[in-house]
Amino acid sequence: MIYKEYIFKKGLINKIIQETQDVYTYYVTPMEGEVKGSPGQFNILYVYGGGEIPISISGLEDGKIMHTIKIVGAVTRMISKIKENDIIGFRGPYGNTWPVKEAEGFDILIVSGGIGIAPLRPVIMEVERNRDRYGRMIILYGARTPRDLVYRREFERYKRIRNTEFHVTVDRGEEEWAGAVGVVTTLIPKVDVDPKNTIAMVCGPEIMMKFTVKDLIKKKIPEERIYISMERRMRCGIGQCGHCQVGPYFVCKDGPVFQFSKIKGYFEVEQI
Amino acid sequence: MIVEIKSGLESDLEKLFKILREKTKVIGPRISVDGNSIVYEELNDYEELARDVEDLQEPGNYRLFKGKFFRHGFDSPKKYLFPPTLKIIRVYKGLRIEPYDYQNMEITFFAIKPCDSAAIKIMDKTFSWNEDVYYKTIREKLTIIVENCIDPGKTCFCATMGTGPRVKENFDIAYTKINGKVLFEVGSEKGGKILKSLNELREASVDDITSLIKTMEEAEKKAKAPFNIENLPKELEEKIMSKDLWRKVSEKCVGCGNCTMVCPTCFCFDIYDESHLDEYVDRIRYWDSCFTYRYAEVAGGNFRPDLWARYRQWLLHKFSYWEKQFDTLGCVGCGRCITWCPMGIDIRESIIRVLGGGEK
Repeated sequence: MIYKEYIFKKGLINKIIQETQDVYTYYVTPMEGEVKGSPGQFNILYVYGGGEIPISISGLEDGKIMHTIKIVGAVTRMISKIKENDIIGFRGPYGNTWPVKEAEGFDILIVSGGIGIAPLRPVIMEVERNRDRYGRMIILYGARTPRDLVYRREFERYKRIRNTEFHVTVDRGEEEWAGAVGVVTTLIPKVDVDPKNTIAMVCGPEIMMKFTVKDLIKKKIPEERIYISMERRMRCGIGQCGHCQVGPYFVCKDGPVFQFSKIKGYFEVEQI
Repeated sequence: MIVEIKSGLESDLEKLFKILREKTKVIGPRISVDGNSIVYEELNDYEELARDVEDLQEPGNYRLFKGKFFRHGFDSPKKYLFPPTLKIIRVYKGLRIEPYDYQNMEITFFAIKPCDSAAIKIMDKTFSWNEDVYYKTIREKLTIIVENCIDPGKTCFCATMGTGPRVKENFDIAYTKINGKVLFEVGSEKGGKILKSLNELREASVDDITSLIKTMEEAEKKAKAPFNIENLPKELEEKIMSKDLWRKVSEKCVGCGNCTMVCPTCFCFDIYDESHLDEYVDRIRYWDSCFTYRYAEVAGGNFRPDLWARYRQWLLHKFSYWEKQFDTLGCVGCGRCITWCPMGIDIRESIIRVLGGGEK
């Protein structure tokens, strides 16, 4: 008997787009099997001799899986050496999804920080594709500097989505920056949300999510309708290796998306 | 519960060993090559079973002497069901994969203690929600022969955890050595069949049964910790926010991870690439520990950089979270984590301290 769980599939890298100085988007065509995944889920990518890392799915389009990766660790540095037409290993998809079904009929408020926009992009695409199923969409996005804004090439497209507001801010502006300056939470008071009819989806560094959730609660959005996507060291992807535990939850299997009301008791515990 | 108890002699136990040895690989306690501890290893002959030794187990201390009754060493059945390192797949350049194929193996755990059979029951749960292939290959054909623990050691608290000193479930045959006799009990259909071939066994006498009950009652008194587990998961988790408390309770911990390695139920692992020059890479699964610095590390930071938080994770996982995840606690009260802690940290004392707010 063999460990089927850890056998990855091969994917061909069709296209690589440099998003920022240290963020790249990889379009992967599976060389076997179909393209699978839902908004919020992740794949585990494998580089020969380097090992595996969990990367969220940023898009599923034209038979390609899109992964946006920030080059920060040992494995991502190896990934950054990959060229177009090279082969990468991947297994998945793992984890649960953003509540895109539950959100039908609701307004959607997306709050993202930094590379945290990557797992939320499929939600934006879903709303664009099925615009009539959802109410208003408000997208708030913050990055450190204008040069750290991911998907800048798509901003105009987001803005053109019907019944959609898109606001961007940066922690530190630069000379040519004419937009808002401040952390992403500074955008929250500026937008008009209907708390009775809004589902919020939040992804970014944990500290950013903590403050964002606080402000959303201030806006009277109920905790059951606030969803966050957690980051943890996810090694196996199937709730077996232990690394991603947050209290009794295995983030890879019970998450990565959590209803805030469910994870709250642990989310607020230091070094959980 | 009516338990049929048969009475026999040491020679019957030897016979049982031989029957099992003919069909299966027998793993049991033997004295290590250096003579310093009990280890679970393959036994080819009944004579290889450890005998005439006694272990002293105290916080941070283990010694083996000449004596009558021993408990267990640092290793446990986990070593065979969930090996410390295991090759998962081989990857060649170009990402061609060759998975390692594991065949069914027939193993008998012979003369393990009730705490270790209870640990297997816990592992049955932790390894089944995503069926672990290797675990399954061995578990399906596993035979478990338990020796009841007539003299628990100083670090034992199986009675508190409800796993011993007399085995209640998850075994094929159990035996107890009392007054020069060996009393056998059947725990499964398979065990019943095997025991039938020991045709010299007799029904146990009333005296035999009385002394078995009395011996086990005495043993039980020795294996108690000063807390009870009924509301323990909740009571411990209520202290989750008390950072100063966890700092105090973990102050002696050096984060070596010994406790998780010797634990018969700890299941964490990681997988790494073992490169063989430029030919291929073996992906190897190995035991990991929540005490290591890198355990909760991600590329951008570390979710548990401080040791007190890692100590809390271990203790609350074992005694709180585990219950929510697997409907059982993650501890059997074997005391290995106490004996093999180089700092002599006693989990029983830690629990009392957490419940009491940090004071000794």
